[in-house]
Amino acid sequence: MSITRRSALGLIAATGAASLAMPNVARGATGRVVVIGGGFGGATAAKYLKLRSPGLAVTLIEPAEMFYTCPFSNLYLGGLWDFAAIGQGYDLLRSDYGVEIVHDRAETVDTAARTLRLGGGAELGYDALVMSPGIDMRWDALAGYGEAAAEKAPHAWKAGPQTQLLRAQLEAMPDGGTFVMVAPDNPFRCPPGPYERASLVANYFKAHKPASKVLILDAKDAFSKQARFTDGWSTLYGDMIEWVSRSNDGKVVRVDADALEVETEFGQRIRADVLNVIPPQRAGLIADRAGLTNESGWVPVNPATFEAVAAPGVFVIGDATIAAPMPKSGFAANAQGKVVAANIVAMLEGREPPAPAWLNTCYSLVGPEYGISVVGVYRLIDGAIAEVPGSGGVSPASGGPEFRAREAANTFGWYHAITNDIWGTVW
Amino acid sequence: MPNGEGPLPTRRSALALAGAAALLPVLVRRAVAQGEAPWWQGVETARALVGDAVPSTEGITIDLPYLSEDGTSIALGVAVDRPMTPESYVESLHVHALKNPAPEVADYFFSPLSGRAEIATRIRINETMPVGVIARVSTGEVIVAEREILIVTIGCLTNAATYATTDIMRTRVRVPDRFLPGVPAEITTLINHPMETGLRTTLAGDVIPKNIVTRFLASINFATVFEARFRSSVAVNPYLRFFIAPPQSGELVLRWEEDSGLAAIERRPIVVG
Ligand SMILES: Cc1cc2nc3c(=O)[nH]c(=O)nc-3n(C[C@H](O)[C@H](O)[C@H](O)COP(=O)(O)OP(=O)(O)OC[C@H]3O[C@@H](n4cnc5c(N)ncnc54)[C@H](O)[C@@H]3O)c2cc1C
Repeated sequence: MSITRRSALGLIAATGAASLAMPNVARGATGRVVVIGGGFGGATAAKYLKLRSPGLAVTLIEPAEMFYTCPFSNLYLGGLWDFAAIGQGYDLLRSDYGVEIVHDRAETVDTAARTLRLGGGAELGYDALVMSPGIDMRWDALAGYGEAAAEKAPHAWKAGPQTQLLRAQLEAMPDGGTFVMVAPDNPFRCPPGPYERASLVANYFKAHKPASKVLILDAKDAFSKQARFTDGWSTLYGDMIEWVSRSNDGKVVRVDADALEVETEFGQRIRADVLNVIPPQRAGLIADRAGLTNESGWVPVNPATFEAVAAPGVFVIGDATIAAPMPKSGFAANAQGKVVAANIVAMLEGREPPAPAWLNTCYSLVGPEYGISVVGVYRLIDGAIAEVPGSGGVSPASGGPEFRAREAANTFGWYHAITNDIWGTVW
Repeated sequence: MPNGEGPLPTRRSALALAGAAALLPVLVRRAVAQGEAPWWQGVETARALVGDAVPSTEGITIDLPYLSEDGTSIALGVAVDRPMTPESYVESLHVHALKNPAPEVADYFFSPLSGRAEIATRIRINETMPVGVIARVSTGEVIVAEREILIVTIGCLTNAATYATTDIMRTRVRVPDRFLPGVPAEITTLINHPMETGLRTTLAGDVIPKNIVTRFLASINFATVFEARFRSSVAVNPYLRFFIAPPQSGELVLRWEEDSGLAAIERRPIVVG
């Protein structure tokens, strides 16, 4: 199965209509907003800034010309989608919304002077800065696992060449092999992500390499939507997937990428045929360089505005932030991008920021026709982000196959809708 | 709580977890600034440990996450930077979680053969609060330190593992293959145990009886080198890392004791040289 998108023509027509239909365009705000990072948070913020206030000059800094989404990269790994299907471009943000796109990397930010320097040498000033740099790996956190080791035992936790490398390894693996995944302790990008990946790799094995195994070595004793995942695993894959908790010696303390071998806390050595190491993570490095992170490696923010505690006027969103109870998800980054765009426009127009509310749904596919989800609605309560009581919840245990199929359809629908919302992609 | 599902403890799978909510972390804002009195003056056992000493505050490192998305099993490390010789060594270390139902978490007793006054474990923390530690040195010196941890449960996570365990009293141990004489090296241990607090009730309202591992002992050639006392705030499947610095080869015996009187024992050769 492979997915292609509609022609460029259909694409332009559809979004053109969308922008004509935009209501109540604000006149007031002028000034320059720079957005670092064209992923889920940053591209959303850039678009919604221009939507709310076309008079603003909005510059989006993103090194990649094509952004490959982590969401649905597990479908690519499982052989269900082409790699091209998860690629998102910036043409529509440029042509339909008037966002200036600069394909470069922000190297340093001077939050006092309100300037930043790009890799190519250019220096930019700003009235407001949005940063959504995502994550970087903590290369010093797991013995033996550095950037060179990731070329043999990929993390594939940023979609791109790492994801393609892991797919190639899965394809080359002989039947009867073992896919070993090393899963990190909290906090990390996309809490259900490792378990969705295990599911879709098992789905691929079941069809193509049925004697193979998926072994998850976990630094945790519990994981997101655990009961739903494990139900789904036994229904769809029998005992193909084995999960080893931290208390059962699942925590990996050393990686030997050349030998494709890992060592656990209590000294077991486990060899893999394909080894996927998801290491501990931190906010994208630029957040550190701008002096916005605390000792946790993540960026504390003012929950009402998402301004960095260390630098008011710098708005940080997405995975890089400490936004708990909101998870590190693309859905949450998108919601935060919209709230921050409204805040910045209000700020530049001298108004009070509107009262924020955020929604998050983490969908996961246990199989192509077996979806599960967890929903949360968040508001500011006494100055902190809090989940609205009774607002959400996880898929019920009792859902039958039709229910799971409907949730799977919703998962695809979500991906189509969010990539359309952010990058204007038409499916 | 968006959800509280997941594998139930096998021994108690028939029991509902309604009472567990009392111990699951809830969203709490950062604690308001403490008053002027140091934390240990507000905890009776801590006050007794400090006694008449004027405590110092230098030389203890508390390794605790800044924020935890799941208060049921939080990694805690404490290191006391003091000599460990027969003339002067850290005798004991005491951990308090100041807003837990009972603030006392665990006590650790070292000997000069510990080589290093340092432990790592996993603890339960109910809500955002300071964690306070007290170290007592054989010379009479008392050192205190504290650190705050934020607890915010996160939408996408579940708190299944609060009491989940299997193979109760099963132990795991990691001992270095070889020691250099007198040089401290790390021992890693874990015992499967639900660490029932006695604070949970079933849906029918019956109290689930308290059942915890209370004591851990490490001895080399019959001499105790390290001891720990656990309370209910030690997390499920008690995990403990500590150091020993054996001068010569021998046998290491590790013993865990449950409040019922049940014990588990592991023996490992110690090879020095
Ligand atoms: C396997 C997997 C599956 C997932 N599935 C889902 C899912 O189903 N649903 C969901 O909601 N979430 C999912 N996620 C999580 C989702 O990918 C992230 O939460 C989301 O990407 C976060 O958005 P962000 O804007 O913070 O970071 P990103 O989307 O990673 O964007 C960061 C961008 O910043 C750029 N950047 C970094 N540094 C600089 C710099 N110095 N200068 C300029 N640009 C810079 C990067 O190039 C990147 O494009 C998944 C994640 C993984 C790994």
